[in-house]
Amino acid sequence: MKVNSIKQQNLSSKNQNFKGLGSAIAGQLAKHPVAIAGLATSSVVAQKIVMSGSEATIGPVMDILTGKTITKITNEKDGRTNQSSKTQAIRTCAQSIGGTITGVIIRTLCIFGSTLALSKAGGDIGKMIALGVKNPENQYQLAQQTAAWGKSLGGAIAILVMMFTNFLIDAPFINKINKEMTHAVDKFSSKKQAQTQKEVK
Amino acid sequence: MALNLTSLLSKVNPDPSKAGKTLLFLNALGMIFAALSNTFACATDKNTSKKDKKFLVPAGVVTGIANIGIYYGMTTKIINKLGGKKIYPKENQTVNLIISKLKDGTFEVLTDDKGQKYVEVKGTAHNIIEKLEKGGTFDKEVKKFVNKEIKKAQNGNIFGFGKKTQEYIVSMKESLLDGGKPSQYAQNLFKDNIKSGMGVLGAFIGAVIGCAIITPIIRDISAYFVQKRMEKHNPDLQNKPYMPYFDPSHLKVNIHGKKQPLSMKNYMAFTSSGSNLKV
Repeated sequence: MKVNSIKQQNLSSKNQNFKGLGSAIAGQLAKHPVAIAGLATSSVVAQKIVMSGSEATIGPVMDILTGKTITKITNEKDGRTNQSSKTQAIRTCAQSIGGTITGVIIRTLCIFGSTLALSKAGGDIGKMIALGVKNPENQYQLAQQTAAWGKSLGGAIAILVMMFTNFLIDAPFINKINKEMTHAVDKFSSKKQAQTQKEVK
Repeated sequence: MALNLTSLLSKVNPDPSKAGKTLLFLNALGMIFAALSNTFACATDKNTSKKDKKFLVPAGVVTGIANIGIYYGMTTKIINKLGGKKIYPKENQTVNLIISKLKDGTFEVLTDDKGQKYVEVKGTAHNIIEKLEKGGTFDKEVKKFVNKEIKKAQNGNIFGFGKKTQEYIVSMKESLLDGGKPSQYAQNLFKDNIKSGMGVLGAFIGAVIGCAIITPIIRDISAYFVQKRMEKHNPDLQNKPYMPYFDPSHLKVNIHGKKQPLSMKNYMAFTSSGSNLKV
């Protein structure tokens, strides 16, 4: 009985901690409501930067950890998976850097172009944009709505454009970055190896 | 024309309350296109045998579905948890039927501009708004929000771009201010922006977890099984130091006599450079 009650106490305290953590995060966020409200106007450009930034930093670590785990689980003796994970880690980093540069430029251009086109559009398209505005005579409210359409539509157009630019620009550009990074890592590791050998001698 | 355009554009809804979901939709769409291109490239590759294709194409499809499915499902839940969600009754369904399945205090029944009733399930954003209202700091924060918006329009961004015209600023003040104080429109805008801002935050968290953690794990595990499968058919590959697709001997010599990375058509490149195509 005692053991059970202790177990229950532990469980409930764990749950409380979890709830406590959730409300603590909500509490912290509640201190910055204006910053949260500012996030509402984020576009796919911001998403790409956040996504690729984390991919460039966390992604390679995940590659190496996955390689190590597979090597351990499968009891692979030559460690080839581990080796190739390191190569993949460099590639992940190169892909994130190259993909962000081209991705951000293309997305920004598409959103800018769409917003500009929509702000000048009349007829059915102009009427459609004005539909969601409470006071279409108000320049500010109409511009807010046009910007929202521009971001959504521009983001969608960017995806279609990138289906081609991925092959034409991204692939060779990323390969180049990958090559440079691989050379840099090789140089660094051979220098380190030479230093260790010197120390041993 | 207008009708078709409307239905097409409704897929990328600019409704601020759906900002997070629009970001998620666009990102997932990009991932679907990338996975499709990769699988198509593998299926049409002349260098891969039909026997291998029978394994590689379904493997690519399954990996893509698992990757995108986990990302989409998980991010939707995070967005709903943080920003809340709106549920409109379907045909032959009443609002009462929806709320009968929900816990008390976790939802609100509201009416939209068109007069249609819907259920808004509360998320962290609603808790933040309630906290501000109960704590008596809501008005102060709305004022801060309005001032920030007006300053941004007057001065532009940090690079000085985006400065608005005087006419725009006048109409902005007309909307956001009422006798020098934040108007009802500004208060509603602030509340809506907190809800959609939390949704966007959820989309960002989902993108980070999905693309930086889940994708590498799924890609590397599937690459391992593909490697083992390839080794069964090509025992020579077992002596190679790396996975077959990292082996430089697989690189093609171009017209300048230099070895170039494998083409996108090759499945080896598909696995190793899969994220090349990520949009």
